[in-house]
Amino acid sequence: MMEGTASGGKSRPVETELELIKQAQQGDRRAFGQLVRLHREGAVNVVYRMCGDAELAEEAAQEAFIRAWTNLPRYKPRSPFRNWLYRIATNVAVDVLRSQKETVDVEAVEVPDAESGPEVLAEVRERGERVRQAVLALPPASRAVVVLREYEDLSYKEIADTLGIPIGTVMSRLNYARTLLRQTLTPYMEGA
Amino acid sequence: MKEHATQWLGTYLDGELRGLRLRWVEGHLQECAVCGSELEALAQLRTLLQESPAIEASTPPEQFVAQVALRLPRRQEQPAARRALELSWRMVPVGLLFTLAFVQTAFTIAGVLQMALSMGLGGEVGALIFPGAGVSLPDVFSLSQASLATAVGSVVELIQAGGALAWLPVLYLSSLVVIGLLYWSWLASWWARRRHQQLMASNNRG
Repeated sequence: MMEGTASGGKSRPVETELELIKQAQQGDRRAFGQLVRLHREGAVNVVYRMCGDAELAEEAAQEAFIRAWTNLPRYKPRSPFRNWLYRIATNVAVDVLRSQKETVDVEAVEVPDAESGPEVLAEVRERGERVRQAVLALPPASRAVVVLREYEDLSYKEIADTLGIPIGTVMSRLNYARTLLRQTLTPYMEGA
Repeated sequence: MKEHATQWLGTYLDGELRGLRLRWVEGHLQECAVCGSELEALAQLRTLLQESPAIEASTPPEQFVAQVALRLPRRQEQPAARRALELSWRMVPVGLLFTLAFVQTAFTIAGVLQMALSMGLGGEVGALIFPGAGVSLPDVFSLSQASLATAVGSVVELIQAGGALAWLPVLYLSSLVVIGLLYWSWLASWWARRRHQQLMASNNRG
């Protein structure tokens, strides 16, 4: 049985997802619920990295799943469901960004617990926040490419399929985004 | 050093370089300290980005799934019925092609029969079915070689001659016209549908 990579790094049989997709395409809401469960984490994270607000990200991810449900009869499993869903999620995030000019919510940032002292924790928190702000400062088109590459580990081809752009554009947007990020984050890169 | 590999370093780091370009960048990196430090900086940037914490979802997974389920709209059509409809719609040109082949075959046979009867091969029965005329069905078939006026004239002459087979050319031409009209209507609806889908897709992209 072939193995596929689920969002969040877990493995599951490809057939299972395909069966769920077929059932959901025939109107099975329970099967679609399973798909939501499988891809919730990835979709929420994509939107979160795009818009930078935890609450908005969950709401927008829900909207992405609803759009996916509506368009599911037209989905053809030539490309992975995850990529198709991320494309919708990215578009929803861009819509959210358009409607909410100010999305940065510093207080909403959660930093994982560490067995370090408060100073180290504060430093990690600050670095994480700077990174988040630097990513948010990128133009949405470049940000989407960075998010899919750096956080969701999609290949260039998958990013191209997901965003509907040529691979050359993926490369140029990544180069551009990395140049901008390095300009902003150089002081923090030594400690990375 | 002739040229730096700066523009390829990100792609190299992502493992997306192949073939000659990959070998060139690998070779270049062994010689060029500038590109080496660029690559190191890009790797540091990647580490920094990936250290940035992911979202800690405040909604438990089951609650999230339930919230999505509550918001799911009802589908307008049953996908199974829709697929059957879709398939039938796509098969329309094939059906028309088969119909055209059938019409051509039927009328070719009728033409041969008419020619045989007009040559007196059918005896008295033939004379009854086809009293005789200077024009035969095959004359009408060869429209490509005749002008429209000649063809219409031939048809009129054939009908005036009377007989059971006299209406065959009219039927034949009418069938062609109907098949042609159906095909053009299908093409027009296909084009309109495609436009609609493109609009829907662009709306979904936001």
